[in-house]
Amino acid sequence: MKKKLLCFPLLLILALLSACGDEPERVQIIAMDTVMTFQTYGKAAEDALVDASAEVRRLDALLSRTDPESAVSRVNSAGGAPVEAGAELSELLETAAEYSRMSGGAFDITLAPVSSAWGFTTDSYRVPSQAELDALLAHVGMEHVHVSGDTVTLDGGTQIDLGAIAKGYAADRVLDLYREAGLERGWAALGGNVAALGCRPDGEPWEIGIQDPNRPDDGNAYAGLLYLEDACAVTSGSYQRYFEQDGRRYHHILDPATGAPADSGLLSVTVVADAEAGSGAMCDALSTALFVMGEEKALDFRRESGLDFELVLVTEDGRVVATAGLEGRFAPAEGSGYAYETVS
Amino acid sequence: MPMRRSPELRPNLWDGLLGLAVLLAAAALGLRLWLPSASGALTAVIRVEGQPDERVALSTLTAPQERTITAGGYTLHLLLDREGAEMMDSDCPTQDCVRTGRITRGGQSIVCLPARLSVTLEGGAQDGPDVVIG
Repeated sequence: MKKKLLCFPLLLILALLSACGDEPERVQIIAMDTVMTFQTYGKAAEDALVDASAEVRRLDALLSRTDPESAVSRVNSAGGAPVEAGAELSELLETAAEYSRMSGGAFDITLAPVSSAWGFTTDSYRVPSQAELDALLAHVGMEHVHVSGDTVTLDGGTQIDLGAIAKGYAADRVLDLYREAGLERGWAALGGNVAALGCRPDGEPWEIGIQDPNRPDDGNAYAGLLYLEDACAVTSGSYQRYFEQDGRRYHHILDPATGAPADSGLLSVTVVADAEAGSGAMCDALSTALFVMGEEKALDFRRESGLDFELVLVTEDGRVVATAGLEGRFAPAEGSGYAYETVS
Repeated sequence: MPMRRSPELRPNLWDGLLGLAVLLAAAALGLRLWLPSASGALTAVIRVEGQPDERVALSTLTAPQERTITAGGYTLHLLLDREGAEMMDSDCPTQDCVRTGRITRGGQSIVCLPARLSVTLEGGAQDGPDVVIG
């Protein structure tokens, strides 16, 4: 009996040593027009990373607007005819429509032709005239997207681009695969998206740096630090893609109301939520929508929407505004120069 | 009459060894939890299309090295030295890789999407965030 009692803590400690000491497995791929890094731990890590990479490439092939073979391209090029798009795309379009409705149109996947007019799809940047934008905006709005079962029909002149939700959706799928493989910890970074499973091997939360939007070229400059377990976080910012013409900067987050880059007083929006089904897609969609809304409307939306998420806003006037639900999970970055505020 | 101890309860050599093993394992666990992790020397991993193309252990460099890389139809000039990496110039349209500046810490990357190329530092001291978003 005594030997059994001594053996139990020995086995427990050896199991803990095994769990703590495993080295990370990491893979990096280029997909969805960004670099993605997946990292996890444990015996099944390598297989899970292969599966995660394959899944993201599958989604890229399905949802890409630039791949002529994708389901999205088939829908966009159908000239108003119904397209059998499949259950997955149809469901994602329904999700996008819901966030568009909830955000009062601040999130809108039908801005695709407007984004193209600015050259953000091809990196051939230009400033379109307001008349050109107005003509394109006539075809913008989720009322021009019709989903019936697995069939999708776009009104003439309307095109869709899922770039503001696809990476979040992919992050959800990667976490699903981690869990299905029995993994306890890891993360997936997909552009401005991160999905974190469990905690670090040392038992501490994952430390997530929010890039300082005023110093985007300094990889060591942060607007703040998040400490997350089983959570998703997505940052959208005006500094991520832009061009300059005649001394003026034009960024890629367009306001569906005007067709022009959103001028909301924000430099970046980070949305944080517990890692539950669909929360990656939610964070992704909302980070764009709330950037368009601006500080006041974004905070009102968080309080009134009924959705469960937290926010870190970086404003043009040098403030970092974090919601109170992040207490203990958000820390200012030392020496950043920002004024930090907590709001309810 | 003095009470005799049961032979089964008397500690023997096996009990001592087992107890020692528990103490050693506990000490090892404590060290693993409290000592900072070191993941080897700082290494630059150059990937094209996500596939590792070259690994350079920066500590082995005796002088800064400039690499000319052709990928995706673009030509890039990468500077490597013992402390980090920097994309000096590129003929890609976005110039994001050049604007990234110098990277010096494990986990940091320089990415050129038009060329579908990345330079990631691995290993070294893990003194920064696990992930940076934005």
